Amino acid sequence: MRSATGPLVNYYFGELAVAVKLSGSKITSVTIASLNDGGNFRSQSIDSMSIPILEQEAMAAQSARIQGVSGASYTSAGFIQSLQGALATLGL
Amino acid sequence: MNEVAVPASDAVASVVHLHHEETVMGTVVTLDVYGGSGLTSGSFEPYLKQALASLHESDRIFSLWKSDSLMSRYRRQEINLETACELVEVLEACEAARDLSEGWFDPWALPGGVDPTGYVKGWAAQRALNELLGAPLHGAIVNAAGDIASFGFPAPGAMFEIGIVNPSTPNEMAATATLVGCVATSGVYERGQHLIDPFSGARCSRLASASVMGPDLGLADALATALAVAGADFLAVIEELSEFEAFAISFEEARHWTSRFPLTSLAASA
Repeated sequence: MRSATGPLVNYYFGELAVAVKLSGSKITSVTIASLNDGGNFRSQSIDSMSIPILEQEAMAAQSARIQGVSGASYTSAGFIQSLQGALATLGL
Repeated sequence: MNEVAVPASDAVASVVHLHHEETVMGTVVTLDVYGGSGLTSGSFEPYLKQALASLHESDRIFSLWKSDSLMSRYRRQEINLETACELVEVLEACEAARDLSEGWFDPWALPGGVDPTGYVKGWAAQRALNELLGAPLHGAIVNAAGDIASFGFPAPGAMFEIGIVNPSTPNEMAATATLVGCVATSGVYERGQHLIDPFSGARCSRLASASVMGPDLGLADALATALAVAGADFLAVIEELSEFEAFAISFEEARHWTSRFPLTSLAASA
């Protein structure tokens, strides 16, 4: 298991940094490592902003009659920029 | 050619399912294809390559975090539209989506200049799926981090079925539905995060989760964003669109859907 945290980047409402974990070359977790949004939303759980891809994949795999799971994902340019930085650190 | 009488259960077992995950567009895109016993990873590889090339091309053109992408250069007014036909296609589709959504999806009302990201992810997945149309398959699904394009079916006599994430417990499903074409889900797992109200310019989301199903994933993606921002009243707008259906979950965990949304199960709200 390898992990890296991307650079702190500006997004619409402040700054954030994304942390990624890999197993081999497969992403197993993407979370918000830090978030500065001017204090408006800091009290809320930032874990809930994690991309639910893995949960979605796991759910789809667990249910034989489901072929896909649809859910909102956080894909702002800032989020992706930090994620790309984290992946680059890991050589992906 | 030998013909052998195959019991029904064996016929189901002979369905081949191939799965691929690609890290692209800042997220993970999965491709799942279903076919008869002639489907092998070798026979499918040329189609897979085309679909992946399409995803990476979309990423190169539209990435706003890549400063040399055509979209970034267009935003800096370094190029005009005549030199970039993909930009024209997407921006025209965004205009159509803005009209269809009565202004609730508006890439021109976002901070920092025109930002078609809310349409592009769905468009890119749809475009990749279209590369698979010529392959000898029962059906295929391209899932771009929760926005899903499909054609066909998983096995003879079966339909694709999808789950919709419960926004308050994202590792559980709020509902399942028959997948008819494409489905996109927008929303926030916390109040007030990343969506922008194009009329006020404020960050705003009036629904925890908004799913739109229809024949085109780019448009479904745009309408899902519009529904999440506009709120449950917007279901009446989608009800009037004969090709699209929608399912919404409020922050109070109330579920609302259009009359023909193909629900197959609904989990009890917490």
